Amino acid sequence: MPGSLRFSLAGLAAAAAIVMTLSAAAQSAVPDLTGSWERYRGPAGDAANPPPEPPPPLKENFRAELDARRAAQREADARGEPQASNVTHCIPDGVPSMMSGPFPFEILQGAAQINIAQEAYSQIRRIYLGKPQQSLDDIELGFYGRSVGEWKGDTLVVDTIGIKEYVRFRDVPHTRDMHITERFKLVRPDVLWDEITIEDPAVLEKPWTLTFAYRRMPDYEIIEYVCEDNREYADENGVTRLRVGQSDPR
Amino acid sequence: MARINQLAAAVLLLGAGLPAAAHHSFAIFDHTQTHTLKGKVVSFQWTNPHGYIDLDVAEGPAGIDRYTVELTSINMLRRAGWKSSDVKPGDEVTAIVAPLLNGEHGGLLLELKMSDGRTLVPPVPAINTFQKSP
Repeated sequence: MPGSLRFSLAGLAAAAAIVMTLSAAAQSAVPDLTGSWERYRGPAGDAANPPPEPPPPLKENFRAELDARRAAQREADARGEPQASNVTHCIPDGVPSMMSGPFPFEILQGAAQINIAQEAYSQIRRIYLGKPQQSLDDIELGFYGRSVGEWKGDTLVVDTIGIKEYVRFRDVPHTRDMHITERFKLVRPDVLWDEITIEDPAVLEKPWTLTFAYRRMPDYEIIEYVCEDNREYADENGVTRLRVGQSDPR
Repeated sequence: MARINQLAAAVLLLGAGLPAAAHHSFAIFDHTQTHTLKGKVVSFQWTNPHGYIDLDVAEGPAGIDRYTVELTSINMLRRAGWKSSDVKPGDEVTAIVAPLLNGEHGGLLLELKMSDGRTLVPPVPAINTFQKSP
């Protein structure tokens, strides 16, 4: 065997060994996201600020419905008779609204499962790693759906289906077929991005992608949140009212 | 009865398939004027999504005796430094509130002056949009 070929094979083996080592390092060096986080809005020009949120690329009839709904909300607010919301009824936000703040959330990261606990309403999402997604027919629709995830290099990719149709993000309508893909990635050691892509071909002209940034809160311990005796209520017309004149019975 | 109506309304809303809008509106409160109420604390309800202070009013707009003062989420209050022990029944306080637009005796707390000189300010979102009366 000519010397030059022998040299090349040795080089190839060394290169392969390096690639394998790097690959193993990449797998073991997934970032540690465990801890408390809250929405991050950096100063103007900060590269950790995500791109501006685009409006949902709704099909025309759904666009008209959303515009009408938002106009009705604005008019009701202007009259001082705001429409009751999920807050009035002690109903949590669900996915993906619970990722939008304003309350902090906590990530608990394990090798087989990652939980995200949102402080408001003590909401919890469970993301199963290394498991296949189920068929929509095998999932009962809910507020958080079913999420599976996998690490692709330093990015956690999360796939979610099974969100109830009335659990809406930014009031945007969707069908039971809505499919959400999230990419969690540290853009700085203490700033995390969640790039959210929502697909729902019956409602959206194209996938809707938006990104939230979060800052790490090293010493923050999540506070419990139980929706308990809200004196705001919805009257028979769905208008928010405040119950007055009674003191706390406890 | 109010409770039943509340539940019925909730069921109607959910049954109609209306979305659970994520926002909380402060539009029931007057953003153009404030009331200043001096009185005695009857109770301090430390709960989510809002805390409440019930006040026996000694000085304030004519015709007001008992007043319901709404606060922000207690989680926001805690992060702003409040404690459930900050306000106790019997405390003499002065509350500056954005009153309910419908004229009922309730309002949103913007500032609470305690008799020991402390002034407690709740972290109301967009508090600058509430104009204080002189």
